[in-house]
Amino acid sequence: MGRSNEEGAMWSIFGYLLSGLVIWGGIGWALDNWLDKNFFLLGGLLLGAGSSLYLTWLRFGRN
Amino acid sequence: MRKFAFADSGEGFVPPSTADFNLPPVFGDNEFTTKPILLVLFSVVLISVFFIIASRKAAVVPSKLQFAGESVYAFVRNGIGQEIIGHEFMRFVPFLFTLFTFILTNNVFGIVPLLQFPAMSHVSFPYVLALISFFVFHYVGIKKQGLGKYLKGIAFMPGVPKFVYILLTPIEIATFFLVRPLTLSLRLFANMFAGHLLLLVFILGGEHMLSGAIGLKLIAPFAFAFGIGMTFFEFMVQCLQAYIFTLLTALFIAGALADEH
Amino acid sequence: MEGTLNLVGYGLSAIGPAIATGMIFAAYISGVARQPEARSVLQPIAFLGFALAEALALFGLVLAFVL
Repeated sequence: MGRSNEEGAMWSIFGYLLSGLVIWGGIGWALDNWLDKNFFLLGGLLLGAGSSLYLTWLRFGRN
Repeated sequence: MRKFAFADSGEGFVPPSTADFNLPPVFGDNEFTTKPILLVLFSVVLISVFFIIASRKAAVVPSKLQFAGESVYAFVRNGIGQEIIGHEFMRFVPFLFTLFTFILTNNVFGIVPLLQFPAMSHVSFPYVLALISFFVFHYVGIKKQGLGKYLKGIAFMPGVPKFVYILLTPIEIATFFLVRPLTLSLRLFANMFAGHLLLLVFILGGEHMLSGAIGLKLIAPFAFAFGIGMTFFEFMVQCLQAYIFTLLTALFIAGALADEH
Repeated sequence: MEGTLNLVGYGLSAIGPAIATGMIFAAYISGVARQPEARSVLQPIAFLGFALAEALALFGLVLAFVL
């Protein structure tokens, strides 16, 4: 476990958060456009951020 | 998105923009001889010649050239390959080494006088490099673990209640197959693009100030001095980006080789 | 000059997470420097703090595109 490994871990956390927000936020945005509502986007973003943080905890926080 | 617009004040300073990156063909109007393509070809020749000469007369007591070549090789082999990938690293050292020297040379072309254009500021070059890296690390993982086991390892995190997979599996798949190659290429591209644009702003801005009023002429040297300072900063960024690209490729390969990651 | 104000807003909203990330890793580095054996304890905490700060920065990025 060197310094460079921590750099890689940071970038993979970044990747998880980005894809979580984009996937679930994108689903929420699509539901908003389809059903003509405006709260699915916010819900999707929060859900995506929450599950990304959970995934980060599973991979890096659990010892 | 809400737009705003300021009217251009006539004949003023034209800031450098993306148009400055679309260079015209060098020979005639053949689209395959633009400056980035020629620079990439030149870098291939340069790297090959350098390392052939550096390794041709390999001696126990190395010459200066051999020492330079060997220290770059040792950096990639020990600092990236051995430390990240572990005991199977020798198979991947040629790939990592090629990647590192290729990106480094092309990046440093951005501040070499007369050449002064980083080819990686055209997004297609990083895309191709990231695509190669993408195929390599998935191929390695599939060959090592078998297709089903490899995909299962990616998509299903162990030690989680069943229903949570609905939330996590899309994120994992998107991360491995979309976000990783995309961020790998866009990071390199954005750094090179923004760095080159920054240098253009300071140098061209300073040049414009020299042709302006007397007060502006007095400020112009500061713009040039800052531009030169930024050039050294750019050199650091260019080396760092070549290192990070290679490092992340090595980490992805190591992750694909590991049974449980 | 043309552009969208969303990008200005995103730039402003990125200041906070940037400072937060800097502080988290500053504390992590000084903790590890003082007590190298504490690394395995501090590392998950630092990564989770980084993830929380980064999530806010990415919220700003996504909202700059969709609003």
